[in-house]
Amino acid sequence: MGKKAMIIVCILVAASLPLYAGPYFLSVFNTIFVYMSLSLTWDMMLRTGQLSYGTAGLFGLGAYSSALLVAKAGVHPLLSIVLGGLFAGVVAFLLGFAVLRLRKIYFSITTLALTSVFAVVIRNLPRLTGGASGMVLPSALFSGDAAKNYWMVFALALGVIGISLWLSRSKTHYAINAIRNDEIAARSSGVDVFKYLLFMFVLTSSIQGVIGAFYAQQYAFVQPEATFSMNFLLLPLAMALVGGVYSTSGPVVGAVVLGVVSEYLKLIMPYGHLVVYGLIIVLVVLFMPRGLTRFVARQLARRGRVGGADRAALGN
Amino acid sequence: MLEVKNLSVAYGRIQVIWDLSLSIGNNEAVGIFGPNGAGKTTLINAIVGLVKAKGGEITFDGRPILGQDTHTIARGGIVVVPQNRELFPFMTVRENLRLGAAYIPHAREKLEETLDYVYQLFPILKERDKQLAGTMSGGQQRMLVIGRALMSRPKLLILDEPSLGLQPSLVTELFDTLKEIKKNDMVILLAEQNARQGLKVIDRGYVMENGRIALEGSVEELSQDEHIKRAYLGV
Repeated sequence: MGKKAMIIVCILVAASLPLYAGPYFLSVFNTIFVYMSLSLTWDMMLRTGQLSYGTAGLFGLGAYSSALLVAKAGVHPLLSIVLGGLFAGVVAFLLGFAVLRLRKIYFSITTLALTSVFAVVIRNLPRLTGGASGMVLPSALFSGDAAKNYWMVFALALGVIGISLWLSRSKTHYAINAIRNDEIAARSSGVDVFKYLLFMFVLTSSIQGVIGAFYAQQYAFVQPEATFSMNFLLLPLAMALVGGVYSTSGPVVGAVVLGVVSEYLKLIMPYGHLVVYGLIIVLVVLFMPRGLTRFVARQLARRGRVGGADRAALGN
Repeated sequence: MLEVKNLSVAYGRIQVIWDLSLSIGNNEAVGIFGPNGAGKTTLINAIVGLVKAKGGEITFDGRPILGQDTHTIARGGIVVVPQNRELFPFMTVRENLRLGAAYIPHAREKLEETLDYVYQLFPILKERDKQLAGTMSGGQQRMLVIGRALMSRPKLLILDEPSLGLQPSLVTELFDTLKEIKKNDMVILLAEQNARQGLKVIDRGYVMENGRIALEGSVEELSQDEHIKRAYLGV
């Protein structure tokens, strides 16, 4: 009951933010929702046991395809966001047949390499993509209206949260949990491992593509270094780890906490804030290896206010 | 029911199974005995599609299954209890069991019924049904893996060294349970080093050495065989 009320209050506060917050706050939370969505997709893939380093690559692919559709084909920006996600999904589907044969570090390193491959290919097609200097679109999404952009990304993030929650109650969740626990046992129990991995890879990649496309449309700009920036991999990863992996609440909390902390640190120490930021991540991961959400839940449970520690906390 | 013909399996350039043939009839329990490295596990893995064969033929109920994916073979009715206690350590006992049936259509329909049967075979699993599988003892985990395999309602149950690493009293208990499972018309393929216990369950057996069938015979023949007595029964 209390939990539900809290969630509703959070959603209402977040949804009404543009009514009382200035453009600075809107932009901070806009960015937080971008990273939160990426963090959730990274975590969803991790639930299958596959550690993907390709988040930035599919993000960038969505960004570029949507930017090109708007600039070269005159597609409506909102439609281009959908198509950007679709394109990332199709690419993930095709690559999946090769990449998903790999496991563990080989999967990770290949997805990382793919990100560089995408960036290199785009940089070397200057006529189409503007090459290393990138592309500026004629106009930003909603003509740069901060409130509308905020609502848009908020809606996207809610959608991703919804998908993540749906997933953790679906039959797919059961299957991917099994795959992460023990792949041979899963196969022996009739689980089509490749099918589920491919589904998850395409799903998460499409979402990453949509977020990338939105990002490109919002700033009306794409450029290889900026669009395929490692930030779009490392920050979501850090957020999920800090919040707690294999859950929906973890990446959400992680994104808000790290997002706010990083902004605050920037304000109080313009130089060296990244060092402190990094230190915080290291300390949280060291001392709360199950993430903030489970750490807090546990502390509360110890005081007898909330029952039961999260069983998934034991996940390998 | 299961027919293996001229099977060859190699890991790279090292051939492990040489031109091996064997068959399992309906309502039969067949044993494969042999020392470490004889190729028992490789043979089983080839049957259920966990390793690729180099050549040969495997048919199940008359249909070729060689080259199919493990999950397809499992849905078709061959379920393996792997040697290494492959289970889902971070799921509860009950979740592990349900997972055995959840992705196999004909098993899912009878999930609750099979669950009762498994709990009756292994009462300890019912007692611990909310415990995380990874936190149970080795013997209990072995029972859980067998229970999960039964949940898939196989036509052919393959067990790869179920006695491995278990204390003697548990081994006896385990083989008594296997006899019980066999009574319920389960076709069993059992790979074992512990021939003395294995012979209690099976009707017929093969002895494997260096990737080939060295000997074949009924339980009586095998238990009388001098070679077996010396090598596996320690008589």
